[in-house]
Amino acid sequence: MEATIDFIKRIIDNLNGIGFPFLVFFIGILEVTFGLYKNKWPKNERWVDISCFILPKLVIQPLVAYYSLHFLPLIFSEAKNVFSWVPFFWGFAIIAVADDLTQYWYHRLHHQIPWLWRFHRTHHSASYMGMAMASRQNIIYTIFFSQIYLTAALVYLGLGIPAIAVRIIKSTITTLAHSSIPWDKPFYKYRALRPIAWVLERLISTPATHHAHHAATTDDGVGYYKGNFGNMFFLWDVIFGTAHISRQYPAAYGISHYEGDQWTAQLLWPIFKSKVEGSELAPNGPEVRIEDDYEALARREANRERKKSVTPPLTAAPVLSNN
Amino acid sequence: MKIEKATKDQITRNVILSLFIYILPIAAMFITFLITGQRPWEKKTHQIENIKTITSKNSQNNGSND
Repeated sequence: MEATIDFIKRIIDNLNGIGFPFLVFFIGILEVTFGLYKNKWPKNERWVDISCFILPKLVIQPLVAYYSLHFLPLIFSEAKNVFSWVPFFWGFAIIAVADDLTQYWYHRLHHQIPWLWRFHRTHHSASYMGMAMASRQNIIYTIFFSQIYLTAALVYLGLGIPAIAVRIIKSTITTLAHSSIPWDKPFYKYRALRPIAWVLERLISTPATHHAHHAATTDDGVGYYKGNFGNMFFLWDVIFGTAHISRQYPAAYGISHYEGDQWTAQLLWPIFKSKVEGSELAPNGPEVRIEDDYEALARREANRERKKSVTPPLTAAPVLSNN
Repeated sequence: MKIEKATKDQITRNVILSLFIYILPIAAMFITFLITGQRPWEKKTHQIENIKTITSKNSQNNGSND
């Protein structure tokens, strides 16, 4: 019996170590293969996504390691493994609620408290959904990601295995909710699956509900960036009245008035500021820029078209002869 | 830019409700223990005592394996 438990623990440990990066990489490959980015990944956005994926890890990993190995033993020297008696099921339930509800609040407050918005804006400036933008965050938002420290504390107190199990399930749900692969679509399409869809879309984040949160417009029946804050559980949005369920996907994503702030400003604001005039990340930019989404979106699309027409198409290059 | 009053009130109400939700699984666990008569924390104390006993025997060897 002990050998079996050890074996399961080892599987969970390995999944925690290699599972998440593999999942992101695998879904990313699928997205690119199916052409889901549709030329929506310009150079500046690529820099934002890649730098946000790599650089914060260089800061966060040592910080969490210091917190877990030095700070917690110093503050709670007698409390190591004090809750190791808690049965797995209950440990899982306690951590799932504590971790995800804390993240719900962290996320919601960055949308509802104006001075916090600029720390979360980077995650919303992408005009596409997918693995490329899933880790896109300002470094301050990542450093203060509250539930990292909560989970580390719970591991120290003896709830390591349930904490890792929650992390695996949560990573899978949130990654799939950001993906441009609409895995939930069949649940809405086939009548027999609709009761399952009803439960799923209220319990966990799905591409439809989370894509609505990343929409460029709101209150139009599909997009709803004023709500749908849940990460693993969507239930928090249902309970607190911040949910919007439409079973549809927005036509446009991102921030309607976004004009491509430099990757340095998006990753490191307020240390680096944006050179885009009127941007929320510019030196004298507003805390929250309020504009009519439809007008701003039309301008964004027009700018994009103009840029396309200026760039010579690939077919204009001389065709090399086979002879 | 100031936060709207309606939003502020909703946040306050929801935070209070959240505190109950945080406690809910912990309360449910102890209610289950109460109903079933389980006392898993006692089992842990016994295990620690057993380990201590073994350790004290070993410590007589002054850390040597001989």
